Amino acid sequence: MIGVLRSLAATMATMTRKPVTIQYPSEHRKMPERDRAFPILLWDFEIDEPFCTGCHACERACPVECMTVTMKDNPAFAEGKSKRRKIVDEFYIDYGRCMRCNICVEVCNFDAIAMNNTWSGHELSTLDRKDLVLDRDQLMELSKEKQIRPWVPE
Amino acid sequence: MIEHELETIDLNINIGPQHPATHGVFRMVLTVDGEKVVEVVPHIGYMHRGAEKLSEHMDYRQAIGYQDRTEYLAQFNAEMCYVQAVEKLSGLVPPERAEYIRVILAELNRISSHFMFLGAFGTDLGVFGTAFTYAFRERENVLDLFEEVSGDRLMYAYMRPGGVAWDVPRNFKERVRWVCQQALIGANDLDRLLTDNEIFIMRTRGIGVLSIEDAIDFGATGPVLRASGLKHDLRRAEPYSIYDRFDFEIPVGRHGDSYDRYLVRLAEVRESVRIVLQAVEQMPDEGPWLPDRVPPRLRPAAGEVYMRCENPRGEYGIYLVSKGATQPYRLRIRSSSFCNLSALREMTIGHYIADAVTILGSIDIVLCEVDR
Amino acid sequence: MTFPILDWGIFGVDMNVWADAMLRLQLVVVVMTVTVMALIYIERKFVGRIQMRLGPMRTGPYGTLQSIADALKLLTKEDVWPSTADFWLFQLAPFVTFVPVFMMLLALPFMEGWGVRDLQLGLFYIVAVSGVTVIGYIMAGWASDNKYALLGAVRSAAQLISYEIPLILAVLAVSMVAGSLNLNDITMQQDMVPNLLLQPLPFLIFLTATLAELSRRPFDIPIGESELVGGPWVEYSGIRWSIIFALTEYAGMWGLSILAALVFLGGWQWPFGTESWWGDFDFVYQLMLIGAKSFFLILVMMWISASFPRLRIDQLMAFCWKILLPFGFLQVIANGIVLMYLDDETVRDIALFLTSSALLVAMSYVIYMATRQPSREERVGTILAARSAQ
Repeated sequence: MIGVLRSLAATMATMTRKPVTIQYPSEHRKMPERDRAFPILLWDFEIDEPFCTGCHACERACPVECMTVTMKDNPAFAEGKSKRRKIVDEFYIDYGRCMRCNICVEVCNFDAIAMNNTWSGHELSTLDRKDLVLDRDQLMELSKEKQIRPWVPE
Repeated sequence: MIEHELETIDLNINIGPQHPATHGVFRMVLTVDGEKVVEVVPHIGYMHRGAEKLSEHMDYRQAIGYQDRTEYLAQFNAEMCYVQAVEKLSGLVPPERAEYIRVILAELNRISSHFMFLGAFGTDLGVFGTAFTYAFRERENVLDLFEEVSGDRLMYAYMRPGGVAWDVPRNFKERVRWVCQQALIGANDLDRLLTDNEIFIMRTRGIGVLSIEDAIDFGATGPVLRASGLKHDLRRAEPYSIYDRFDFEIPVGRHGDSYDRYLVRLAEVRESVRIVLQAVEQMPDEGPWLPDRVPPRLRPAAGEVYMRCENPRGEYGIYLVSKGATQPYRLRIRSSSFCNLSALREMTIGHYIADAVTILGSIDIVLCEVDR
Repeated sequence: MTFPILDWGIFGVDMNVWADAMLRLQLVVVVMTVTVMALIYIERKFVGRIQMRLGPMRTGPYGTLQSIADALKLLTKEDVWPSTADFWLFQLAPFVTFVPVFMMLLALPFMEGWGVRDLQLGLFYIVAVSGVTVIGYIMAGWASDNKYALLGAVRSAAQLISYEIPLILAVLAVSMVAGSLNLNDITMQQDMVPNLLLQPLPFLIFLTATLAELSRRPFDIPIGESELVGGPWVEYSGIRWSIIFALTEYAGMWGLSILAALVFLGGWQWPFGTESWWGDFDFVYQLMLIGAKSFFLILVMMWISASFPRLRIDQLMAFCWKILLPFGFLQVIANGIVLMYLDDETVRDIALFLTSSALLVAMSYVIYMATRQPSREERVGTILAARSAQ
């Protein structure tokens, strides 16, 4: 009976403390810098083209095979504006398949792919599964327009 | 003259796979005589994804992510076991600092896993979410720390053969100390709420008793075994990593009932906090976290290795066979939950339906690990 | 002193008794619905704060419209039933559970002399009708064609019928003291001392039995969400489920706590008396008084329900038959003896207080001895005890 009373005291004691929950969709927890959502492609602002050369390294290293990459000749290289001989043509990532293991980032030789570390990488619900397959422009959009700064391990 | 007595027949009740008490997709068919359970038939396999077979088609680094998903409540412990198996196979020696990072994270993960148990166990017993929220409050702190370190809240994929993927953040030590402090507060709250509550004791004490002989026969490990009274902990019995450097107790129960299993886990939370605090003290501030020149695709020599670790749920083993390729020839996971779960029938028969639920909860199964 | 609204029908007009009763009924129904919605909101907030959560925050300021949103959502849901269900039993069961609760509200005097009907045998009537609820549980459990539901129904039959008896004994003890079964009389009699002081043991028995009657935690064994997933109500959804859950549970909680406030806490009578402060408007403070008292009891019930694990069915039965029932009987017998042999009012009150307190202490001692557990060291060994405590 004493233990029962002690339980009542315990619940009453916690009631006086401050609630620990927040109002999620209207109030976001601050994301740590290293947060790892889904991979995105990065944009090289100096030359105004993607970093990615379409070298297939990430595609081969992906454990779940969620990526599809094709490569093409870089038109900017022919004009002499860029040092990249080849450049990415098509790039698809199926976010429904990706298991966010960070291996694609580790194997990339050009630092062209990074994990999204903003809330936009987590709030991705769609009505159709097909909408989770992102193409090159969609993957590049965050880096190109929103200019997020992903964290890359040294 | 009555020729026949009134006949009663037993009732089959199907609990699961979709049921709040089964902690995943587990199904048990109870045969009950009134409220008493006379037979239990567990059905597993609803969560089988073939993680072992999948790992055979991946190189050693790619399979790390699958360890997270196999043991989804103690991911760092599972990863640690796997990477140590790979290290044994390929002869890599992790640097000192990486060992400390691993031990701290694994012990914190033990805390978070045990908090998950404590909360879910309270809910199984019918505490209206209070124990659950107390436990999740602290689990959340631990997960926040894990996110700051590894980048993900649940599927970390942070350890690598030879060390860890990247360095911990600068304020790691302060954060770990703070999390430990909070974990003790959470443990105290749960202790006050449940441990001495007579209703709780009546519902758990003497329920689901597993004798020490039976526990050994079923291959039960971890808190289930220790609650039965055997002082067996791989961190002590066969120290792996750097566990021989820490001073900690192994909590041991007496009766092997649900109450002892609960209390052993509560005590292990406090012991893990002790280990973490010692590790934080001893951890070098600077140093490499991966040895130099680890090839991205490991190609260990042909051979086989069995590595076992003390996970929150018991002995988690990885058996690896290499034929010298970049992919393991065979990867086999020795699941602690599976062995503990096999003792379910022994524990449940003769108890009430309500107890069947709490006994299942007290084993603390992770269905992904059972089915693999 | 009298109210015009008492003598002249509800709107101060002389009218047919039936019309008067219907109008009062309407008022009670409206108040009940609003109270139920408020109680759902309050429980969610209160339990949320206990669990260090915010509770509902979205709909309206601080989530105050949450109950209305829930009600709308439940009302617009499709009414589904299992194809193998016994159709009429299944459809009617929620009403069978709800109607007794509703009938109970008819006899409660919410302020002096104001109820839907002032029954001479009000207490008896309430106890009688509230026993019907169990039929609805069994109907639902049987008709759902579901084993969980059946088990829940059988459990609830055992539980509700058992706990009816301590409940009756508790109110019987009080009605002996009051010398009446009329709720108005019982309340009026508590002008100086509330029955809580005269009869603390029946109050506790009443409170416990109320929790069990309402199937609230820690006595929610028929519902048993972690084992029977809702018990008799497992197949219900939409409006029928809202009738069961929202209306029955919360209206029952409200009604029984008002009953407890009237019978034990002095209702609108104690501590201020019914002597006029504000003339014809002192029904306002009477309403406030009874509202505060019943609200306090409801909060206590919510607090208890958020703190305890669920009992097991055998433990629940043992608690009823081995502890509450004998002590209820002892209290009735003690009351009989005291009331038989003591005539002086003061002496009688003191004797009632002393006997009931003695029995309360005895019951607490019995519960303590029955549930007493060895110390943590003895339970699990010294090392584990030391390691698990701070």
